[in-house]
Amino acid sequence: MIDLTKLIEQANELAPLPASTVRLAGLIGNPDCHLDEVTELIVFDQALTLKLLRAANSAAIASPDRVSNVREAVTLLGTAQVFALAVAAGAKPLLQTRIPEYGLNEGALWRHSVAAAVAVETMQAVGSVVPPPETFTAALLHDVGKLVMGRFLSPEILVLIRRAQEEDHLGQLDAETLLLNVHHGELGGLIAQHWKLSPRVVQGIIYHHNPEQGQDVVCDLTYLANQLAKRIEAGLDGRTFDLNISFEVAERLALTPKMLDELCPIAASRYVQVRQRYNAV
Amino acid sequence: MNAADFNYVRNYVRDQSAIVLEPGKEYLVESRLQTLARKENLISIDLLLSKLRSDSSNGLHRKVVDAMTTNETSFFRDIHPFEALRKFLLPELAARRAQERQINFWCGASSTGQEPYSVLMLIAEHFPELLAWDIKFIATDLCGEALARARCGRFNQIEVNRGLPAALLVKYFVRQGADWVIREDLRRRVDFRELNLVRDWPLEPPLDIVFLRNVMIYFDVETKKSILAKIRRLLRPGGYLLLGGAETTFNVDDAFERAVFDKSTFYRLKQT
Repeated sequence: MIDLTKLIEQANELAPLPASTVRLAGLIGNPDCHLDEVTELIVFDQALTLKLLRAANSAAIASPDRVSNVREAVTLLGTAQVFALAVAAGAKPLLQTRIPEYGLNEGALWRHSVAAAVAVETMQAVGSVVPPPETFTAALLHDVGKLVMGRFLSPEILVLIRRAQEEDHLGQLDAETLLLNVHHGELGGLIAQHWKLSPRVVQGIIYHHNPEQGQDVVCDLTYLANQLAKRIEAGLDGRTFDLNISFEVAERLALTPKMLDELCPIAASRYVQVRQRYNAV
Repeated sequence: MNAADFNYVRNYVRDQSAIVLEPGKEYLVESRLQTLARKENLISIDLLLSKLRSDSSNGLHRKVVDAMTTNETSFFRDIHPFEALRKFLLPELAARRAQERQINFWCGASSTGQEPYSVLMLIAEHFPELLAWDIKFIATDLCGEALARARCGRFNQIEVNRGLPAALLVKYFVRQGADWVIREDLRRRVDFRELNLVRDWPLEPPLDIVFLRNVMIYFDVETKKSILAKIRRLLRPGGYLLLGGAETTFNVDDAFERAVFDKSTFYRLKQT
């Protein structure tokens, strides 16, 4: 097993999100939050304003006119997506890190994170479910725990995890839990708490592999977003990835196999467009 | 780890605790022994095993058994049994035991204490009047290290994130450094004791509710039968036994019958 105290310390030592993003989290979490308050907060952060305008004017937005101010950007994108972009801007340098322990090359975690956020947008656009605003951020950050976990996975531990998967047919999450007494979702939740993100975002990240334990639609949707992201990435690489959504999750989200089949190609084509928006931050 | 070493460990663990380590679990034994070897400042598992074989008085044997126990637990684990306790079992018990004003709980694999503390928080939240009763809560485990942690009632952030609603965290825990410590008045209510399920049980009957979740899965059928027979003798008529989701008394001990409450299954003694 690994030293949980050190693991927790390292998660809490990650650079905090920018102050404006943390304040934005507080605003977005309030159901009475007003567009003016969001706009006012963003314009005081020049770096965030620039990134947001760049994202709003990326090719992903089918707006005929150039978005020239923050208010227009917030109106166009919606507060939940603006917040996800703000978090993305803050976490991007970290999410682009290479994590060889998880087989992730430089930029791979970022691409997967963006694909998951886009999957949530697709669910919203297709209209099968209405994702709560926290879902975008939970999806974007669902694998952030791998950043810290990777530092603790010695070659010996990695061999044992692989053997647990091969010899005992355990999934990644169960193998991590059995051998390390913690899994990357839990560590991601810890990082989200350190970043002062809302409890629903934290839960969505913690339970992105086992949403039945989270008991919240954000957990179900983050789980689904992760699966869709894997499918999108596989498609881009010319691989196949069978979407294997838990029956209970599909039932809770009222998703039929047909609806899931329809969702996949839409999410894939949307990703090709929308990733530019995230890459612009 | 070669087959002889694996068999030596699995036979010893089985003799001492009845925990069955099937072939294929070599990776698990290696992982746990690696951690133990590091703790004991031994450079390899081989050295640890040679010390085990050569000297039975160095305390290592006990540590090996402790290391092989799985202490996975969480607050309000699987939630549904706790819902059933709140909605059905505790109201029923409160009514049935109103005259004696006494309820006896036993948690037979309490690990680091999350399960007994969850039940106590549930009582404090929804049946605070019961806290004035004579509530006996015995919580036992084979692993001394886990029990020591349970007695302290101290949990790290990852542990409190597992299943504990934020409102209950704030209400029943006190922040101490990076950790959270359960409120003293709840902590004092649990009597944590070391108990090996395959040895004698120094427990006082009758018990109203027995929690024995996710532990029988590690035992063979004969051990399961013997444990259920002991529970039968301790359980008050009308009392309940809660097993893990993958465990059952069916085809093991027919003296028990299922009692289904919404999404969870408890067991009670059949009426004769």
